[in-house]
Amino acid sequence: MGVGLDLFAAASAEGAWSVSEVTRRARAVIEAGLPLLWVRGEVTGFKRWQSGHWYFTLRDRTAQLRCVMFAKENRKLPAAPPDGMQVYAFGRPTMWEEKGEFRLTVVELLSTEAGGLWQVALEKAKAALMRDGLLDPARKRPVPAYPRRIAVITSPDAAALGDIEAVVTRRWPLAELVLIPTRVQGEGAEADVCAALAALARVPKLDVAIVGRGGGSKEDLWTFNSERVARAVAAAPVPIISAVGHEADVTLCDLVADLRAPTPSAAAAAATPDREKVLEHLAHLGARLSRGLASRADVVRERLDRSLDDLEGAMALYLERCRHRIAAASGRLDALSPLKILERGYAVARDGEGRVLRRVAQLPAGLRFRLRVTDGEVPARVGDS
Amino acid sequence: MAETPPPTPSFAKQLERLEEIVRRLESQELDLDESLKLFEEGVERLRTMRERLTATEATVKRVLRREDSGGE
Repeated sequence: MGVGLDLFAAASAEGAWSVSEVTRRARAVIEAGLPLLWVRGEVTGFKRWQSGHWYFTLRDRTAQLRCVMFAKENRKLPAAPPDGMQVYAFGRPTMWEEKGEFRLTVVELLSTEAGGLWQVALEKAKAALMRDGLLDPARKRPVPAYPRRIAVITSPDAAALGDIEAVVTRRWPLAELVLIPTRVQGEGAEADVCAALAALARVPKLDVAIVGRGGGSKEDLWTFNSERVARAVAAAPVPIISAVGHEADVTLCDLVADLRAPTPSAAAAAATPDREKVLEHLAHLGARLSRGLASRADVVRERLDRSLDDLEGAMALYLERCRHRIAAASGRLDALSPLKILERGYAVARDGEGRVLRRVAQLPAGLRFRLRVTDGEVPARVGDS
Repeated sequence: MAETPPPTPSFAKQLERLEEIVRRLESQELDLDESLKLFEEGVERLRTMRERLTATEATVKRVLRREDSGGE
């Protein structure tokens, strides 16, 4: 078709073509002659319509090509190309009959610039997050030191999960892992990760969550560069440790997360204390406990010793006082002793029974009695006259 | 005696209490009776914490199902 078209015949008096006939034919010719192809050019005059369709022009130094990219195709792209961006557009050249306009219906668009449209989307999302203060380092929450429950948001069949499990089991088996399975790449991953992050609020007693992903190509990281995922991370009810990036590529999720780990294993290590270290700390506390009590007991013992000394001193003093009083009493006793009177030359007369003879009537003539003088006793007799 | 604690107090809480006990014992402001009581509590806590740390075999793993996320 199209080949050998006799334009002169068509324009003859028999009948001029209607506009629609021409444009329809032109469209047929164009579509038959030009297959789906890649076009390289600079984007200009970009416009997004209410319908979601994109309209723009591709140009090079000498020519321009009108382009449309329908919503159902451009939805797959992370961002719209800014004017001036060099792109590769894959599409079908055609005729837009209503406007009589030659154009390219684009189904795929790639930027030739580093990072491409993804970079554009990333910068836009980053700026939005920054504006809302979500990248502020002061927002970052500390990860609890001794977690009871750790949520893991990752693909259930990825190596990441096994790595995390192994590390937590070795370091801190006290913690319980709660897996929230999710797709981490491909269609639907974004919504899936967001739903998983929202589900954290329904896990009771949760201390921390790890969003993990092991390896994968750079393109697969884009789930974690989505603004939606980043906002869901920021809104999470517990601190989030992100382990989704590559060494070199930091994702938005990494930036918003409370802690960024290079690998899932590192994330698990950051979420848990080391059991051995904690046991060492406990041993140290145990030693301090015993020392504390021992020194406490020492203080009490010292006080007891001191009290005993005090007691002994008081006792000695008391005894000394007693001794003094006894000496004084004995002196006075001595002074009052009848023997003292005998010393002065007096004598006591007593009969055989020891009765003291005080009166004359008790001493009839011839009575034998005993006389006690200071240094002894002598027998005596009452005389006659 | 310590008040009867909830089934398993968090490790962080237990450790905090143990450290407080050690600090108070070291401060020397208690009488011997109180010191002994604290010491006993400390030793008991130390024992249970050590047990928890050494007796646990493997980390328990649960899977949060999609249906769960609507409930609770």
